[in-house]
Amino acid sequence: MQKFTIQKKPKKYNTEGLNTTLTFVQPNTLKVIGLRELTLTAYVLRLERKNIKLFAGQHISLGFGNDGATREYSIYSGENDPFIEVLIKEVEDGLVSKQLKRCEIGDRVRFDGPVGYFRIDENKIKDSKFLFIASGTGIAPFHSFIKSYPELEYELLHGVRYSYEAYERSEYNANNYHLCSTRDDKGNYFGRVTEYLKDLPFDNSMQVYLCGNCDMIHDAYDILLEQGFSADNLHSEVYF
Amino acid sequence: MKYHLITLGCQMNLSDSGRLSTVLNDAGFVYTDHEEEANVLGILACSVRQNAINKVYSRISKWNKRKGKENLITFISGCILDADKEKFLKLFDFVFQMSEVAKLPEMINQYGVTSQASVRNSSIYTDINQFWNIKPQYDSAFEAFVPIQNGCDKFCTFCAVPYTRGREVSRSSDEIIQEVKSLLEKGYKSITLLGQNVNSYGLDKNGDEISFAELLRRIGELGKISNHKFWLYFTSPHPRDMNDEVIDVIAEYPCLAKQIHLPLQSGDDKVLIRMNRKHNLSKYRSIVEKIRITIPEATLFTDIIVGFTGETDEQFENTMKAFDEFKFNMAYIAKYSPRPGAASSRWVDDIPNDLKKERLALLTDKLQSHVSEYNQNLIGKTLTVLVLDQDRKDEFLTGLTEGKINIRFKSDDASLIGKFCDIKVISNAAFSLEGELINANSEVLA
Repeated sequence: MQKFTIQKKPKKYNTEGLNTTLTFVQPNTLKVIGLRELTLTAYVLRLERKNIKLFAGQHISLGFGNDGATREYSIYSGENDPFIEVLIKEVEDGLVSKQLKRCEIGDRVRFDGPVGYFRIDENKIKDSKFLFIASGTGIAPFHSFIKSYPELEYELLHGVRYSYEAYERSEYNANNYHLCSTRDDKGNYFGRVTEYLKDLPFDNSMQVYLCGNCDMIHDAYDILLEQGFSADNLHSEVYF
Repeated sequence: MKYHLITLGCQMNLSDSGRLSTVLNDAGFVYTDHEEEANVLGILACSVRQNAINKVYSRISKWNKRKGKENLITFISGCILDADKEKFLKLFDFVFQMSEVAKLPEMINQYGVTSQASVRNSSIYTDINQFWNIKPQYDSAFEAFVPIQNGCDKFCTFCAVPYTRGREVSRSSDEIIQEVKSLLEKGYKSITLLGQNVNSYGLDKNGDEISFAELLRRIGELGKISNHKFWLYFTSPHPRDMNDEVIDVIAEYPCLAKQIHLPLQSGDDKVLIRMNRKHNLSKYRSIVEKIRITIPEATLFTDIIVGFTGETDEQFENTMKAFDEFKFNMAYIAKYSPRPGAASSRWVDDIPNDLKKERLALLTDKLQSHVSEYNQNLIGKTLTVLVLDQDRKDEFLTGLTEGKINIRFKSDDASLIGKFCDIKVISNAAFSLEGELINANSEVLA
C-alpha cells in the first residue's frame, strides 16, 4: 500500500480562495415585505415576487433561522399579484411557523418552489362549477383560485372552530361563502363542515377541491362518494 | 493512493457512484474493494430509510477509530437531510453535494495530498447538469444506468427525497441520447433510465425540452438502427405523470422493454390522500387497463407501503384487493417507518410493528400466489434471457427475462454472462423460474 503523510489537517474543509463554494449550495431567499395578523395565531406573510412564475393552488417551502428547517405553505395570493402571500397558523409546538412570525420587513426567508399539482384545470373553468371545502388555513389555495380566476362559479365551505377564524371573509362573495363553526354559532352553520355537507348536498357534477385537515378530507370524501360524486372529480391537498 | 466507496440506497446512488469513481480515478486514485486498504473512504448516503442512516453512523464510527492509527480521509455525499448534514460535518472530513463532486480532489489537496487533478483549476461541474457530463465508470460491461432526471416535486408525505435532492431537474435530451448511443456502441444489453420521477422528464423545462414519451421514441429509433439487441428500462415513474403516449411508444419499439414499474403505494384512496400521492385508484386502474390492452405481454411491478400512519384493516384490505385486481409480477413491499425530514414523521406512527409484519406477510403471500400463477403459464415457453451471473447453485447461471423475471438454467459456461440466450422454461419456483438452454446466443434483433 502506498504510504502518504497528511501535511496539514484543516479543522474542516476551507473554501477560502476557491472559485466556488464547496459546502452545500446556498438556498434561494425572498425578502419579507409585509406581515398582517388576522388572529392571535394566524397571519399572512407577504414576500417579494421577483419574477417567480406560479399557479394558484401551488405551494412553496419557507424557512427562517439557522436550523435549516422548512415547511410547505399554500400560496394565498393570486397569480397576478405583484407579491407572494402565504396564510400561516402558528402551531403551538411548531418551529417554522413561530420563526416566520418573528420576521420583520426586510428580513430574508429561505424559499423553494413553487411546486404542486393542486391546480384548477383551466379548460374546466368555463363549463364547470366548483365546490371548495376547507378547514382552517386550508382556505389559502381557494383564496388564490378566486383571486386568480374571478369568473369562477364556486361555493366555498369553510370549517373553523370559532367564527373569528373566517380569515378575510370579505374577499369572497357572501352568497357563496359558507362558514361552519364548531365552537360558536356565529357562522352560517353551527357544526362541522362535513355535517353541513351532509345536510345540504351540492350538485354532484361539480369539481370538488378539498384542503386542510386529513380527517376532514377523509370524512368529506366518503360523504361525497355517497352523494354520487365521481372520485375522479375529487381533488385534495392534505395539511400536516 | 486507494479509495473505497460504500453506496447505500437506490439505483440513482449507484449511478452517481459511477461518476464519483471517474473523478477519483482521473485524479489518480485507485479503487479497492477492500476498505482496510483504502486511505480515502466515502459513503453515498440514502435518507429513505433510517436503517441506511444507521449504517452510516456505524461505518464512520469504525473509520474514526482507525484514524488515530492511520492516515485516513473520509467523506459523505448522496441523499442527506439538512439535520443529518449538521451531524455528519462533525464526523466526516468532507460533506458535499454530488453536484460538487469534481471538487473532491481539490478538497483532498487541502489535506496536503496532491493528485493529478488537484493542481488544475477545476471550477467545472458545479451543478447537477455539469455533474451529469462526467463520464461514469460503469460497474458492468452489459448493464448500465443513465440518469435523466433528479429531484422530486411530489412531496409524498412518507418520503424525504424532496428535502435531500431538491426540485425536479431534467438532463438535456441530447446528452442522454449521446450516453445511450455510446453505451450501445460498447455493446451494452440492458440500459435503465433513472429518475426519482422518471416520467416527469422535461416538465420542469416548460416546453424547452422534449417529453418523456418523445425521449423514449428517440431511443426506440436508435434501437431500430442499432446493430445489436438491447432492452431499455426506466424507473421509477409516478402514476400522476404516466400517459397513454408513453405506453404507445413502449409498444411500438422492440428495444423498449415490456416491463413497467409503477408504484401504487396503497390500494386505498384515503391512504393515498394521506400520502399526498396525487393519484387515486381509479387513475392507477386506467393506466393498467391501457397497459393490458396495448402491451398485453408487459410485466407490471410496483412499490407498496404497509402500516402507513392511520392505515385501518379495511384500508389494508383494499390493498389486498388491488393485488387481486392488478396481479403484479413483483412488488417491493415495505413496512412503514417514519423518516425524519418527511412530513409523516410529524405524525404518530400508530400501527404496531406486529401488525405491520402481519400485513407484510399477508401481502407477500398474495403476491406470491399471483406470481406463481403467471409463471406457471410460462412453463414450456422459450424466452430470451439476459444472462447476468453464476447462480448460487453450482453449475447454474442466472438471468432476467425482458419482463425482469428471474430465471436460472444449467450451464457452467461463464462466457454466456452478459449475453442473450434462449431458455425454455421447465419449472416455477416462488418468485423465479428454472429453464434449459436452447440457444446460447440470441443476439439477433427481434
